[in-house]
Amino acid sequence: MTKVELETGGSVWKMLVKPGDQVAQGDTLFILEVMKMEVPYPAPISGEVSATHIAEGDAVEEDQLAVEISP
Amino acid sequence: MTWKRETDEIERRRELALNQGGEAAIAKQHSQNRLTIRERIEKLIDPGSLEEMGPAAGTPVYDENGVLTGLDPANFVLGFGKVGGRRIVVGGEDFTLRGGSPSAAGLRKSVYAEELAVQYRLPLVRLHEGSGGSVGGTGGKGSSLPSPVNAPARFRSVAQAMGTVPVASAALGAVAGLPAGRLVASHFSVMSKSTAQILTAGPAVVARAMGEQKTKDELGGWKVHTKNGTVDNGAEDEASCIAEIRRFLSYMPDNIYQLAPVINCDDPVDRCDEHLIEVVPRNRRQAFDMRSIIASVVDRESFFEMGRGYGRSQITGLARLNGQTVGVWANDGKFLAGSMTADGAHKARRFMELCETFSFPIVSLVDEPGFMIGSQAEREATIRHGASAVLTAALTTVPWVSVMIRRSFGVAQAAHYGPDGYVIAWPSAESGPLPVEGGVAVAFRREIEAAPDPDARRRELEEQLAAKQSPFPRAEALGVHDLIDPRQTRPELCRWLDRVQPLLPSLLGPTAFSIRP
Repeated sequence: MTKVELETGGSVWKMLVKPGDQVAQGDTLFILEVMKMEVPYPAPISGEVSATHIAEGDAVEEDQLAVEISP
Repeated sequence: MTWKRETDEIERRRELALNQGGEAAIAKQHSQNRLTIRERIEKLIDPGSLEEMGPAAGTPVYDENGVLTGLDPANFVLGFGKVGGRRIVVGGEDFTLRGGSPSAAGLRKSVYAEELAVQYRLPLVRLHEGSGGSVGGTGGKGSSLPSPVNAPARFRSVAQAMGTVPVASAALGAVAGLPAGRLVASHFSVMSKSTAQILTAGPAVVARAMGEQKTKDELGGWKVHTKNGTVDNGAEDEASCIAEIRRFLSYMPDNIYQLAPVINCDDPVDRCDEHLIEVVPRNRRQAFDMRSIIASVVDRESFFEMGRGYGRSQITGLARLNGQTVGVWANDGKFLAGSMTADGAHKARRFMELCETFSFPIVSLVDEPGFMIGSQAEREATIRHGASAVLTAALTTVPWVSVMIRRSFGVAQAAHYGPDGYVIAWPSAESGPLPVEGGVAVAFRREIEAAPDPDARRRELEEQLAAKQSPFPRAEALGVHDLIDPRQTRPELCRWLDRVQPLLPSLLGPTAFSIRP
């Protein structure tokens, strides 16, 4: 299980995956909006999205757990 | 009649010193996955290059007849050694003796480290694991008089070393008190994620004074200290810490009176990476990967990042252009839009001071939207720390090249340009007093509110003004030296370095300001 945690606070602009989706390493999982900039988060590994902990519009904080991926 | 009896005694004392804290203490150190100080030094330096200073220092143990039965060696090992064939001064606490808390002789040797480095003008490496003084004192058997008022100030040599020679330190176990204070008084510091903690005071003292119950790792593990800038880098274990120190030293001159060594470069100076023409998205809201730009423009694999974990909107590190050391400073738009935060400004200031101290030309890759804003930023005194960075840039005397990659706004952008610097811009560059998105909403508030479709009017105004912030008018007014195809950046930087190279020898020696922690 690989956890994707947020590097900064901000708001969730777009969720591009949901639990059960297959992703390849480098695919964009979601996009945060931080200081008016879009910050994409790529999948660190290939696998299946086992959980998402954030949703579009959420105000989020640094270090928050966002997505979990099972290889 | 020879001196054999005495030479045998010298030999015996040497052996006793090499025993360190004894077999049991060494086994305990190893069982916790930590090396002894002598093993650490061996890993750092070239084989067989140790020239030890004061190996005979220690506390002798005599029996009732006055015959020496043992020697508690000074618990700080100090000497010269070579790294990549170049001589350095190296030292560190011996944790197998008194848990690294200084013995009388250990303290003398430890404070001698900086003095030796300054005297011989050699880089200093400290490998720390130990604590400060104990209320019981240093345990010396001799005079218990405290130091006189005219004793040299203990930290003067620490400060002098930082202004004279490269200083690199590693935290390899628990480091507290005096060793912690010296650890951070370095140009580069690294801590072992698996074995080190850095503590102003340990859990017992904290529990008693503050009523806070915390483990050593919670108080001062790598997750705390790589994020707050106490150390520059975290590395997995002792071996990787030592490898990082060797790498850091490879960029450095021996002292401020010399230029950094130039190594052979097999990466062509005219290499043009194709991806640079599309690395900055045309959509101005999309962040891009600044580290991929750095990797493309400096000598291949030569970027050594320092302080990645803190002040993360700013990227700082050493790199090479055509084999020669330069400082690289860039914004990371993926972190808080690359804005100048209080800790980012502090990191940038220290980095400029490092470059000024050692006469490193500075390569600045600019994507600066301005100071970080909001209530947290105000609480952190961002404007003051930011202005400190801006003024530091203004006082530097080393050559600068600034590449306007994308945004360059506000007071904060001024920190990214040195006096008389060479300035080139990519077509994606935009600059002005503040980014249009924030500025338009404020400056044209009434006009936007009065429009039939306020949102549409705002977007229209933003587009009009964004066009004015393009780099072409700036180039027409000689506001930049040139506009370049992003793919031409590396050749352009290498030509610049070739032009400023002859100026560097005149910058050597003490600088108007050096660097403090």
